[in-house]
Amino acid sequence: MCSRSTWPCKPRPEGHTDSVTTENAPAKPRRGELRIYLGAAPGVGKTFAMLGEAHRRLDRGTDVVVGLVETHGREKTAVLLEGLEILPRRHAGHRGRDFDEMDVDAILERAPEVAVVDELAHTNVPGSRNAKRWQDVEELLAAGIDVLSTVNVQHLQSLNDVVERITGVTQQETVPDEVVRRAEQLELVDITPEALRRRLAHGNVYPAERIDAALGNYFRPGNLTALRELALLWVADQVDVALQRYRAEQRITDTWEARERVVASITGGPESETLIRRASRIATRAGAELQVVHILRGDGLAGIGPAAMARYRKIAEEVGATFHTVVGDDVPAALLDFARGVNATQLVIGTSRRSRVARLFDEGIGASVVQRSGPIDVHMVTHAEAGGRLRARLGASPLGLSRLVAGWVLSILLPALVTVVGVFVPSGLDFATDVISYVLVTVVVALVGGLGPALLAAVFGAGLLNFFFTPPLYTLNVHTPQNLVTLIAMVVVAVLVALVVDQAARRAAQAARARTEAALLASYARTVLTHANPIERLLAKVRENFALTSVTLLEKQDGGWQPVATAGEHPCADPDEADVDIAVTADVHLTLRGRALPAADRRVLEAVAGQAFLALRQQRAAAAAARAERKAEATELRTTLLSAVGHDLRTPLTSIKASIGSLRAADLELSEEDTAELMEAIELSADRLAGLIDNLLDSSRLATGAVRPHLRPVGYDEVVAHALSNVDGSDAVEVAVDDRLPSVLADPGLLERVVANVLDNALRHGGAPVSARASAHSGQVELRIIDHGRGLRKGAADSAFAPFQRLGGDRDTTPGVGLGLSVAKGFTEAMGGTIRAEDTPGGGLTVVVSLPAFSVEFEQEGVR
Amino acid sequence: MSDPGATVLVVDDEPQIVRALRINLTARGYKVITAHDGTAALKAVAETKPDVVVLDLGLPDLDGTEVIAGLRGWTTVPIIVLSARGDSADKVEALDAGADDYVTKPFGMDELLARLRAAVRRSAVAGADGADAVVDTASFTVDLAAKKVRRHDGEEVHLTKTEWGVLELLVRNRGRLVAQKQLLHEVWGPSYETESHYLRVYLAQLRRKLEREPSRPRHLLTEPGMGYRFEV
Repeated sequence: MCSRSTWPCKPRPEGHTDSVTTENAPAKPRRGELRIYLGAAPGVGKTFAMLGEAHRRLDRGTDVVVGLVETHGREKTAVLLEGLEILPRRHAGHRGRDFDEMDVDAILERAPEVAVVDELAHTNVPGSRNAKRWQDVEELLAAGIDVLSTVNVQHLQSLNDVVERITGVTQQETVPDEVVRRAEQLELVDITPEALRRRLAHGNVYPAERIDAALGNYFRPGNLTALRELALLWVADQVDVALQRYRAEQRITDTWEARERVVASITGGPESETLIRRASRIATRAGAELQVVHILRGDGLAGIGPAAMARYRKIAEEVGATFHTVVGDDVPAALLDFARGVNATQLVIGTSRRSRVARLFDEGIGASVVQRSGPIDVHMVTHAEAGGRLRARLGASPLGLSRLVAGWVLSILLPALVTVVGVFVPSGLDFATDVISYVLVTVVVALVGGLGPALLAAVFGAGLLNFFFTPPLYTLNVHTPQNLVTLIAMVVVAVLVALVVDQAARRAAQAARARTEAALLASYARTVLTHANPIERLLAKVRENFALTSVTLLEKQDGGWQPVATAGEHPCADPDEADVDIAVTADVHLTLRGRALPAADRRVLEAVAGQAFLALRQQRAAAAAARAERKAEATELRTTLLSAVGHDLRTPLTSIKASIGSLRAADLELSEEDTAELMEAIELSADRLAGLIDNLLDSSRLATGAVRPHLRPVGYDEVVAHALSNVDGSDAVEVAVDDRLPSVLADPGLLERVVANVLDNALRHGGAPVSARASAHSGQVELRIIDHGRGLRKGAADSAFAPFQRLGGDRDTTPGVGLGLSVAKGFTEAMGGTIRAEDTPGGGLTVVVSLPAFSVEFEQEGVR
Repeated sequence: MSDPGATVLVVDDEPQIVRALRINLTARGYKVITAHDGTAALKAVAETKPDVVVLDLGLPDLDGTEVIAGLRGWTTVPIIVLSARGDSADKVEALDAGADDYVTKPFGMDELLARLRAAVRRSAVAGADGADAVVDTASFTVDLAAKKVRRHDGEEVHLTKTEWGVLELLVRNRGRLVAQKQLLHEVWGPSYETESHYLRVYLAQLRRKLEREPSRPRHLLTEPGMGYRFEV
């Protein structure tokens, strides 16, 4: 057995046993070791690394042969092959074409220690012994030969669908994951996407002619980054995480309902932060988006201050969630309405903060939500604050229904209880104790139930006190005036306490309500301050917060009402149609439709309406400012244009006038050649003038938006042919535009100008050879004009299309005002296409014009 | 090769252009009549019955297409329009209204002359069949009577029925612009108007079969968006 620590070593012939195995066991041939170089994309250097390793082993004396290595014409790779023994390939024919495949038999016969076999995923020519090269490699391994091989991440079977989505190309060649995972050594060859693109630009990956639409798309930075990430994750066995995310992202195209959506409801208490983070984790795992909602109760008693709200909003934004506020009295109902409104599939709420005792009286929001949630899953998240102590809410207890009922019940029960105690323990209690007991009971009932129950408790208690404990006993008469005073005083105390309690409760409610209003107003003010188009956002917020159907800002114009901005459906066209109508000024009204709102809410709405009006004014002022700026820009462009043009138009005119002057000069005897030369000069100058004027006109048409393309199906081949006939020096252009490519939807005249301008630019600045190639990829057909000139400066890819750009800067003396490419861009984009500049591999500039394909199926007669 | 005695009506409001054309055309044997606006043009056509009209589209009084429409109401005289650069819209409009061909300003004199010749020839041989039964080009010969095409390297080219239909129409109208609609009508049928992709495919096939360099055609030319032209 070859172990790593004993070099060199030679493989033993088959059948030879290892010293450790027993004599009678049949000899098992040692299986070869597979070492795989995995890369994210072509050109990262897998074959290079593999050959480097081969050389290292060779230097150590191992018997290494090259089974098959593809250099793809890359010089640096080809150089590395020198010094290695390369076994000749097998020639196979198929359908009239010749193919070279790896000669497995030759390798088995040669029986080296190590075989270098490139491209594990390769499909062999039909008729070969194995369908796939990895099967060939399995044979080599079974025979005891170590193998070095390469594979791209796109070939891994389990990643097939994801890669197809990323690159848009169906993967034909695949390798089962186990084959790669079984490798004894897996080395990831990794370089950054920028470095790979630089290699591509230098021509070290593919020659310029091979770059077509599909490859160009493949080597986009976004693509390469995604593939690289995929490769890294696969090696680390973490693909599931990424796959989930990719799949979730792709589901954007699926029906909206199919998406998972998580809604987290926070109360504003200290556990809210925990809740938001837990909800975020739940959402990430489900690949869902998260929305955090805070229910503001109409009476504001459970609300939080603006500072806390801002804090939770910030936390929500940190985890990538949106923050919403909804106003409603019944918290579970408001929460579920919101959740259903956004098609939530999961709800996250915190477990009850109440103690077990408090929960006896009121189950809390959680249980209510769970009961009424229907198909929405509810996650109840525990937190440190759950199951807290019973907190006495002095003077702040909401006088909800349950409390009232409790109050009434207690107002009967407690005095009765005191009576019972007094009657059955007669010795221990004297009159004073009885009195004070009843007073105590009344106060308790006032605290629980408010004024009404307290009054009942007072009167009832007084009655019981009178009947059972005031002489004469068991009658309602009172003998002593002091006892009468006591009784009356008790009732008065009870009433006063109840009044005080009630007042306190009301004041607390008012204060809380004021806090809610302040929070809402603060949020609206913030909207107006920070958003670019605040009105729409403001109205949408109002609609959401108050759960309305529509909110519309109406302005009186020309006698009628015009909606300036609206949120929601069924907007009001007239203030009379509204459920709530707020007049900001005589001419501007804020109209709401959906339900009638209590007067308290109107206060907030009036403030909001004022803010909306301000926002409207602000928006209009901004629009006017933008228009003025555009005018200024247009003027500036015109000035620049005129000054640039002055020189470039005068030059050919000067030449014309000079030549004509010479021809017309009566006293001048010109030879035939001179005359011909002068006349040629006139014609050339006239042509140049025509070209300049065309570009200027086109530029100005683009600047004023006067370009109206008439789109129809056009073939690149026709347009290129026509453009060539109008461009100087077009003989130097090599054309490879297949006329069988799909037509594109374009304006023929505009497209011809685009092609002519780009060709002219390539010929003038790039120098021959210039080639024009077309290729189609995923619904777009691209035309590439490739030159091998100086190419772009680093980072100049975008500015190349700006007007008046010249390669050499201001000192560029080549003729032409520098408008050609900017006109090309303007026209291309007017037709709905894109144009971009790329580096030609090996140096030079490639301009890519991409337009949507217009394909149509139809029957064709006869021979193809 | 000019047509001695053919009458040309030149309509343009720019006197320099009119002068240049008048001098050139007269020198080549054409009889030249001039008009400077649309109304004068209509009158001139009625009075002098020219063999071809060269019409500028940017006239001061009438829209170029109005003049064309006016003429087409009663005469089939060939009309070549001079259009300004830029929009293909005005060219297409003119062709739809009944113009036969176009030249874009600023134009080369040769181009205009070639179109004039082609236009005059059509009106001369309208109806007559025998002449020009064989059309010779630099790379191949078309025999209209025998319905055959032979390349100059000796090979006969096999064309399908539709391919022949397209080629014949273009060759019979050689030098002239044949609008897409006209091609579709005559080769496929009157109900075919918008299937321009058919034309693209068939022209591509013809180029592959007949042109030496299909991507740089010399005989089967496309004017993208407008039509096709066969140049000898």
